[in-house]
Amino acid sequence: MTARRPIRWHIAVFLAPAVLVYTAIMIVPLIGTLNLSLYRATETGPQFVGLGNFRTLFGDALWSDAFWNALGNNVWFFIIHMLVQNPIGILLAALLSSPRLRLAAFYRTAIFVPTVLSFVIVGFVWKLILSPLWGIAPSMLGAVGLKGLFAPWLGQEGSALTALALVSVWQFVGIPMMLIYAALLSIPDEVMEAAEMDGITGWSRFWKVQLPLILPSIGIISILTFVGNFNAFDLIYVAQGALAGPDFATDILGTFLYRTFFGFQLQIGDPNMGAAIATAMFLIILAGVCVYLFGIQTRLRRYQF
Amino acid sequence: MGSLELRNVTKVFGKTEIIKGIDLSVKDGEFVVFVGPSGCGKSTLLRMIAGLEDVTSGAVVLDGQDVTAVAPAKRGIAMVFQSYALYPHLTVRDNMGLALRQAGAPRSEIAQAVGRASAMLALDPYLERRPAELSGGQRQRVAIGRAIVRTPSLFLFDEPLSNLDAALRVATRIEIARLHRELGATMIYVTHDQVEAMTLADRIVVLRAGQVEQVGRPMELYNDPANTFVAGFIGSPRMNFLKGAALGESADTVGVRPEHLAISRQGNAIPGTVSHVEKLGGETLVYVRSEVHGLLTVRLFGEQDFSVDEAVQLTPEPPRSLRFDAAGRRLR
Repeated sequence: MTARRPIRWHIAVFLAPAVLVYTAIMIVPLIGTLNLSLYRATETGPQFVGLGNFRTLFGDALWSDAFWNALGNNVWFFIIHMLVQNPIGILLAALLSSPRLRLAAFYRTAIFVPTVLSFVIVGFVWKLILSPLWGIAPSMLGAVGLKGLFAPWLGQEGSALTALALVSVWQFVGIPMMLIYAALLSIPDEVMEAAEMDGITGWSRFWKVQLPLILPSIGIISILTFVGNFNAFDLIYVAQGALAGPDFATDILGTFLYRTFFGFQLQIGDPNMGAAIATAMFLIILAGVCVYLFGIQTRLRRYQF
Repeated sequence: MGSLELRNVTKVFGKTEIIKGIDLSVKDGEFVVFVGPSGCGKSTLLRMIAGLEDVTSGAVVLDGQDVTAVAPAKRGIAMVFQSYALYPHLTVRDNMGLALRQAGAPRSEIAQAVGRASAMLALDPYLERRPAELSGGQRQRVAIGRAIVRTPSLFLFDEPLSNLDAALRVATRIEIARLHRELGATMIYVTHDQVEAMTLADRIVVLRAGQVEQVGRPMELYNDPANTFVAGFIGSPRMNFLKGAALGESADTVGVRPEHLAISRQGNAIPGTVSHVEKLGGETLVYVRSEVHGLLTVRLFGEQDFSVDEAVQLTPEPPRSLRFDAAGRRLR
């Protein structure tokens, strides 16, 4: 006869707070949203329509054009971050970790400050800076004789999204910088000195020794950028309003969702269609994260030193 | 091809002088060990020779050429670090070959050099592994292999054995001695372990507080130390220092090695009581507390029976005792 092991209640007790909080603020709303996207409001109350809302979203040209426009813009927004923000972040970190740099702590703080600023301030300040009427960008370009280069970037359909993406890059470049900086600092000095003895210095040291060792951090940064960009909303809303002008040129999934769900100006809010968009966003981000977790992260090696 | 000369080199960090003017010349093919207590500047001196640390004043001369301002990789020096400092993302093969690849050597030459080094160090089964998949001893061999591949004229070792366990330390020590014979290259080796210094070195440089205390062959330092510091640092267990006045000597201090101190139960030499006995099988160490001289160590051959608190008499062997003045300098 073996004595039955007593039920280990303490495990459940210790898990409970996190599970309860997480369930209340994440799981329940998520299921609620998924559920909401399967109904349509009628005069007699909510009616179950299955995937009807998704059929509308992807089948009705009025909806699908807006959706694909927002998704395309969002992808471009993400590409700008990956091509501009993260390489600059890595470059800044590499410069900061150089032992010869003076005032490194000052630069590190200065570059990180925008990250802690509110979106409202950042969006508004950049709107003012770039304003053709009273902004300082035209006169600053004029001061160096490049006034001809100025254009009302935020007002032109072709450049508005890129301009806002670059504002967002300016705001958040401190995050990849900090993560990479920490990763670079964790490489032991002796490894770098061994490279120096082997004649691997300057850029080849970066490419052959440092970069391979910080790849896992770059992977983390990429996925954080992806999730952050596909959930983005605030900066566009502050700078261009919920209509994401000019002519929806800066409309991303977040602003599209907001207009649909809550309504804006003449558009009446439609929680069911909004929930359908939110569900689509959720699935897109889920797919991206899965690709990263199972396709990329398993191939990135973390090295012990 | 591998002679080194240091001409009055100094190193100052901020306001502290770490290396206070060292002159040293190392002949081609010599195995020189820098030894000293921690903080004596031995690692700094090695790093100055490597070029990893700037020289404040003075010159580092390699094969007759002043290399004080030459980049580390251009000096033809290879260094083995205490923590191995292998590239974690590269296989053993690539770790060893990276320097040659960086220098633009042809593939066949790299493969040949890596093959030779790995055969010499018995690393062939591990060539495709990464450092994380190797034991400490294997990693150290890879680090040595990485140095060998570059066929440097001068090898620098910075406490290469201190991260290994005792048994492996002895084995690797023998391996390094064998490599020195096979390669015939000049080697400079830093350690705080005087046993490593004694067993490996052609010549030992004893450093203290950024200055050379004495340079000489191991047995020279052992039998003929210049001062009490060298006498106490070289040899284990430590030399006994007796008060000269109490022995009727003109010298301030008389140094006697533990094996040159005779112990007996009668007589009227130096009285003391046994405070501890260590039996090591091959030898017995008896620690004797003397009222005049403090704690003294006696080393006896074989197994000897002494018990704690027993009263004993110690007699120094006169021809083997060394006499020092009040400043610790040897009186000859």
